[in-house]
Amino acid sequence: MAIEIQPERAQPAGRGPGIAAAKRRWRPRPGVPAGLIGAVAGYFLGHWLGNLLGGGYDRSSLADTNDVAIVLGYAFGVLGWLAGLGVFNDLFLMMAGKPAREEPRLLGTQEPGLAKYFRYTLDHKVVGIQYLYGMIAYFLTGGLFAMAIRSELLSPSYHLIGPNQYLMVVGEHGTMMMMMMSSVILGPFGQYFGPLLIGSKRVAFPRLEALGFWLTVPAYVILLSAVLMGGFSTGWTGYEPLATQSTQGEDAYFFAFGLMGISMILAGFNMIVTVINYRAPGMRWSRLPMFVWSMFTVSFLQVLSVPVLVGACYMALEDRTFQTAFFTNQLGGSSFLYEDLFWFFGHPEVYILALPGFGVISEIIAVFCRKPLFGYKVSVAGMLGVGTASFFVWQHHLFDSGINPDMRPLFMLTTEIISIPTGFIFLVAMGTFWKAKIRFSIPMLFALAFYFNFLLGGISGVFLSDVPADTTEHGSFFVMAHFHYTIMGGLIFAFFAGIYYWLPKMTGIKLNERLGKIHFWTMFIFFNSTFLPLFGLGMLGMPRRVFEYARNLETLNDWVSISAFCLGVSILIFVINFVMSMTFWREPEVGNPWRTRSLEWQLPAPPPPDNFRRVPVILAGSYDYGVPDALPVADFNPPPGVIGTAYASASGRAEG
Amino acid sequence: MTDAAAQSSTQVAAQAEDDGFYHESALNAAWTGSRLAIGGLTFLFGCFVFAYFYLRSLNSSRRWHGSGYVHPSVWIGTTIMLLAVISAGVQYFGLERIKAGHKAIWQVDAVIAMALGLAAVGLQVYQLADLPFPPGSSGYSSVFAGFYPVFLTIQLAALLWLEILLARSRFIPAMSFVEQPPTVPGTFTVQRFQASLSAFSTVWNYLALVAVLFWLLFYAL
Repeated sequence: MAIEIQPERAQPAGRGPGIAAAKRRWRPRPGVPAGLIGAVAGYFLGHWLGNLLGGGYDRSSLADTNDVAIVLGYAFGVLGWLAGLGVFNDLFLMMAGKPAREEPRLLGTQEPGLAKYFRYTLDHKVVGIQYLYGMIAYFLTGGLFAMAIRSELLSPSYHLIGPNQYLMVVGEHGTMMMMMMSSVILGPFGQYFGPLLIGSKRVAFPRLEALGFWLTVPAYVILLSAVLMGGFSTGWTGYEPLATQSTQGEDAYFFAFGLMGISMILAGFNMIVTVINYRAPGMRWSRLPMFVWSMFTVSFLQVLSVPVLVGACYMALEDRTFQTAFFTNQLGGSSFLYEDLFWFFGHPEVYILALPGFGVISEIIAVFCRKPLFGYKVSVAGMLGVGTASFFVWQHHLFDSGINPDMRPLFMLTTEIISIPTGFIFLVAMGTFWKAKIRFSIPMLFALAFYFNFLLGGISGVFLSDVPADTTEHGSFFVMAHFHYTIMGGLIFAFFAGIYYWLPKMTGIKLNERLGKIHFWTMFIFFNSTFLPLFGLGMLGMPRRVFEYARNLETLNDWVSISAFCLGVSILIFVINFVMSMTFWREPEVGNPWRTRSLEWQLPAPPPPDNFRRVPVILAGSYDYGVPDALPVADFNPPPGVIGTAYASASGRAEG
Repeated sequence: MTDAAAQSSTQVAAQAEDDGFYHESALNAAWTGSRLAIGGLTFLFGCFVFAYFYLRSLNSSRRWHGSGYVHPSVWIGTTIMLLAVISAGVQYFGLERIKAGHKAIWQVDAVIAMALGLAAVGLQVYQLADLPFPPGSSGYSSVFAGFYPVFLTIQLAALLWLEILLARSRFIPAMSFVEQPPTVPGTFTVQRFQASLSAFSTVWNYLALVAVLFWLLFYAL
């Protein structure tokens, strides 16, 4: 598909951005509409090619097509989508030896209006906002599937959705939440605030960062498309050999998960390189905000563990399309191979989800306790410790799946050990709360709830790491309650804390406080009312992923379902608050409402296009609340020569 | 953008300092990024190494190789591996020459390295299209047919990087590699090119090592 290169982008460096802007051509401008055209055209092209290549392969009675056609359709559709967005324009320029376009915002200009949010942009703040809206949409979609699950479970036997549809809904819900929500904090807040918090105007690889977001959109659509093909029966883990035996919905699962994996790798890659190389002078590692530490740790997990997931998804798709036998025992493969590869990613994934939450919360508690963060270095050690240890525990997911019994104690031990660095982070929180004059603003309420919820999730996790307990509770609602307490009780509460805390900075508009408090209290109460009884249901033997259950569990299940609906209402209150506050009420908040020391809050709201007028020089850490004679956090207009000296000395060291 | 002519000399100097700071950051980012990419790629290739040894040691249904197994052509496999290694060697030699100020020699070497790399990819495609076994006939055949498409895709991406470097080098005067260009933007351009070239060389050498490793797995062990 021919896409016009934007005139202002195609011109040689050194010419002003407005000169050629008037030269419009008939071809579509890069953006979402062109991307949609490219995606549809690409899908049909790929599908046709797949039928050509794999026409002799088995056809499904459901989709009347072969897997090769579907997978190639997805692949070409994604390429068409990216081409329509203009992702390849700079690549073609560079292949011709021309310089890639410069970010307009670094020249002090910012495109007005909303159109920029529907384009492939190089502005990390725009990408952050794109992620924010995207993640809210993905979360709400996953939440609707959850409502469907609880509706079915109102009755002990079939009454709304049958067994196959139930599995489909459970799979969509689980995958949407575990896959798409991986970037729920790294995406909006990491991309937006990462550079601001380290005092940088730029990110290292803005194109990769933007690509990371725009891959989430096709991943979401493809995952949902599985519904049209009967869904996938494997749940969010995609276990073999069931996956190989499943219908074409499984193709959508593997392709979408792989695509989201690539998005996570790109986001993490950019974050690591940015944090290492783009910190402002004086932003030493010992002054790095905890949120940035969490992003940094999580990014390493993503760059190192997610390639294994991408490899596993690729192998599964190869099995389903080109008839390899990675996971077919009878042909020399092994279904356990998939399980090992999946969980090598899957357990770090748990911390990919959890650690950003700890990062957000660590930022918030110091602000609202008006105290320095207790044990900063201990907290950093905790984050790094959790991240490192997360690579050595994956086999506990296979305790009941045929693991060599001699290996169980080792992985039981490593799993229990991971609670120690997690305890560090809790210790830091307790030390910060100690004798603090806590301000119970909405972000702080969510932060406190985070610790309460995660404590329950964490303790039940230690319990489950013991082989005897795991053997008893494996595959039951007890496990489900455990991970919902850590993921929803942790990550999602932290996400909302971040929204209430940072949205005024991102948009210059604050959310309605009254509705915010109603949202918090209803969410906290009904979250616990929903998931706490699930521990009991699990202990009573209720299995996961089954649409019916013993009649004696009906009362408890009804309680859970009604609580879940109330939880849904509390999320609806947030949505109403968000939409009304952003669209109609628009109460401005341009100052520093939380009286925060950290760098981003020293800037206007929303921050200027180029973030900082000059490269700031960091003078002190951002947690010195209540410290007499604390230095200002940064000099935003350093005297001439300071910045030059900083990078000249660094350059000299490198050359030496 | 503020009109540069209206800025005071202090502001211009400050802007130059900032530009220098981010230029230095970008040079370091090329170094960090290439090493990090190698880390991520190692885990991606690592899952194929894991699959290889896992399936080989498991030998489920006695089908690591299976009955009637025919080995893929050792000659083709060895040629592909050697092409990748020689390509990396030629490119490395060219890198040393451009560091010594000889742009033209590097350009010739880069073209040769690219041709060798493309030949390796082309030959690999040919081998995959003409395998002596069905992809799903055994554990070995699955890992073989699964790994090489991934590897050659990454090789192709790296060759695209080399093509960009070659295209960019056409616009940099040869003299700039001998002595510092007279303007700051000129200096920045050359240094960024050098940083990118150095990062590419690291990744290309790494891919050659991976080619050797998997040759050992598939043909020698």
